[in-house]
Amino acid sequence: MAMIEVERLTKKYRERVAIDALTFQIQEGKIVGFLGPNGAGKSTTMKILTGFMPATEGKARVAGFDVFEKPLEAKRQIGYLPETPPLYPELTVRGFLKFVAELKGVPRGQVKSEIDRVAKGTGITSELDRLNSALSKGYRQRVGIAQALIGNPKLLILDEPTEGLDPRQRAEVLQLIKGLAGQHTVVLSTHILAEVKTICEQVLIIHRGKIVADESMANLTGGRENGLEEKFIQLTAT
Amino acid sequence: MRNILAIAKKEMTVYLTTPWAWIVFTFVSFVSSFFFIGLLVQFKQAHEQIRLMQGGWEQVGAEAQFLRNLTDGVVMPLYSTMLVVLLFVVPFLSARLFAEERRQKTFELLMTAPVTSTEIVLGKYLGGLVIIGATVSVTLVYPLVLAMFGSSFSATTSEKTATLEWVTVLLGFGALVLFGATVLAIGSFVSSLTESVIVAGLITFAVCLVWMIVKIVAPNADEPWRSVLDHLAFDVQLRNPMRGVFELKPLVFFSSVIATFLVLTHRSVESRRWV
Ligand SMILES: Nc1ncnc2c1ncn2[C@@H]1O[C@H](COP(=O)(O)OP(=O)(O)OP(=O)(O)O)[C@@H](O)[C@H]1O
Ligand SMILES: [Mg+2]
Repeated sequence: MAMIEVERLTKKYRERVAIDALTFQIQEGKIVGFLGPNGAGKSTTMKILTGFMPATEGKARVAGFDVFEKPLEAKRQIGYLPETPPLYPELTVRGFLKFVAELKGVPRGQVKSEIDRVAKGTGITSELDRLNSALSKGYRQRVGIAQALIGNPKLLILDEPTEGLDPRQRAEVLQLIKGLAGQHTVVLSTHILAEVKTICEQVLIIHRGKIVADESMANLTGGRENGLEEKFIQLTAT
Repeated sequence: MRNILAIAKKEMTVYLTTPWAWIVFTFVSFVSSFFFIGLLVQFKQAHEQIRLMQGGWEQVGAEAQFLRNLTDGVVMPLYSTMLVVLLFVVPFLSARLFAEERRQKTFELLMTAPVTSTEIVLGKYLGGLVIIGATVSVTLVYPLVLAMFGSSFSATTSEKTATLEWVTVLLGFGALVLFGATVLAIGSFVSSLTESVIVAGLITFAVCLVWMIVKIVAPNADEPWRSVLDHLAFDVQLRNPMRGVFELKPLVFFSSVIATFLVLTHRSVESRRWV
C-alpha cells in the first residue's frame, strides 16, 4: 500500500516556483532518502505533506487521506521534524514532550511511559528536566526527533534529522531510524550521501523543484562504490 | 476539549515561567495600591471637612456627592483607573500569543499537530484570559480591605458610609474582566498578523486607546457618525457598569467584539499567509 501519494504537486511563493508538478509514491514500510541541492524544494514538499501549508496545485495523500480535505486524519499518521526544531524555549524538555503527547492524543495513562520511551531512543533521558533554551544544538535536534516519535506515528517525515549531531549521535540516530523500517515509513532529507547509503532503500532526488530520480538504491548506484555521489552530481549539474 | 486545555496550559506555563506575567502582576499591584492610598486620603479629608461644616452632606455640591460612601468614593474610582492600567497591560500580554510562535518557528509544530485552528485560537485565548483574570483579581484585595477596616477611614461613621455595596463592586470587577477579555481578543488578532511581538503590542495598544477615547479623538463628528461613535466607544459602554448600573447592552456589546476578533484570528490562522 502507498503511504504517500503525490500527484502534480506545485507550490509557488508569489512568482517563484519552489516545486513544479511533483509526482511520486512512497510505499509503506520504506525508508526513503529525499535528496537535492540547497533550494531544490525538499522542505517545501515536506511542509505541504505535513499540512503546514497548502499547495498551489496538485494532490497529496497520506495513508489514503487527502492532506487538504482530511487534514486531521492525515496529521494523525505523521511525526514531523521541521527544518528548525520547534522547541518552546520556556518549557522543560519533559514539559514540552508532554505537551506534544497531549496534542497527539496519547492516552493520559501512557504519556509518562511514552516520554520515557522516546527519550531513551534519542538519548535525552539525562536532559529531561532542563529547559529547552539551555540545550546545545545537537540536543535540540534530538528533542526535535523525540517529539516526532511521540505517539508512534506510522509515517515519519524528518527534515535533515542528523543536522548538528556529533558523529556518535549521528550513527545512533541512523540506527534508530533503521530500526523503524518495516513498521514505519520514513522520509528523510539530508545532504550527507553516506547516511543515505547506510539506511535508505529508495532515493528521491529533486532539483529545481522537479524530480530527477526516483529509484531503489541498488538501481541508482548500479552497485558501484561511488555510484550515489556520481549520480547526484550528474543529475543536479544544470 | 483536551487539546484546548493542553494549549491553554502551555500558554499559562510560558507566561508564568518567563517574566511576562510577573512584570504585569507587580506593575498592577504597585499602581493600584498607589491609587488606592491616594483615593483613601482624599476620602478621609473630605469626611473630616464635612464634619466641621454645618448641615453636613446637604451643603455639598452634586459633583462631590460620590465621596459620601466608600464604594463610590474609593472603589469605583480605583476601578476606573484600572481600566486605563489594563489598556497598557493587556496588549503587553497578548502580543506574544501568535507572533512569538512564528518567530520561534514553533507554529509549525502546532499547525502540523492533529488539532484544529479553532482549538489553537481558543486554547491560546483561554490561557491568556486566566492570566488576565488573575491580574484583575489583584484589585479585589482593596474592597476586601475596606470591608474589614472601612469604618476607621470615614470620620462620619454612619453604617451606610462605611459598608461596601458589594453588588456595585462586583459589577465594576466584572466590567474590568470583560474589558480585559476584549483587549485580549483584539490583541490575539493583531498578534496573528505579525512576527514581531513589539509591533503587535504597540498596534494593539494604539487600536484600543483610540477605541476607548474615540469621543475625544473626534469631538465634532457630525450625525450619523456621532451616534455611531456614541454606541461603539469603549468608555461610553463602560460608563454604566462602572457606576453600578447593570445593563445587558454593554455585555452584548463586548461579547460581540470578543467573538468578532476571535473569528478574525481564526481566519488569519487558517489563511496561513506567512508561508
Ligand atoms: N517562505 C518562502 N518565501 C519565498 N520563497 C521561499 C520560501 N521558502 C522557500 N522558498 C524558496 O523555495 C525554494 C525551495 O526551498 P526549500 O526550502 O524547499 O529548499 P530545500 O530543498 O529544503 O533546501 P535546503 O537544502 O537548503 O534546505 C527555494 O528557491 C527557496 O528560495
Ligand atoms: Mg530544507
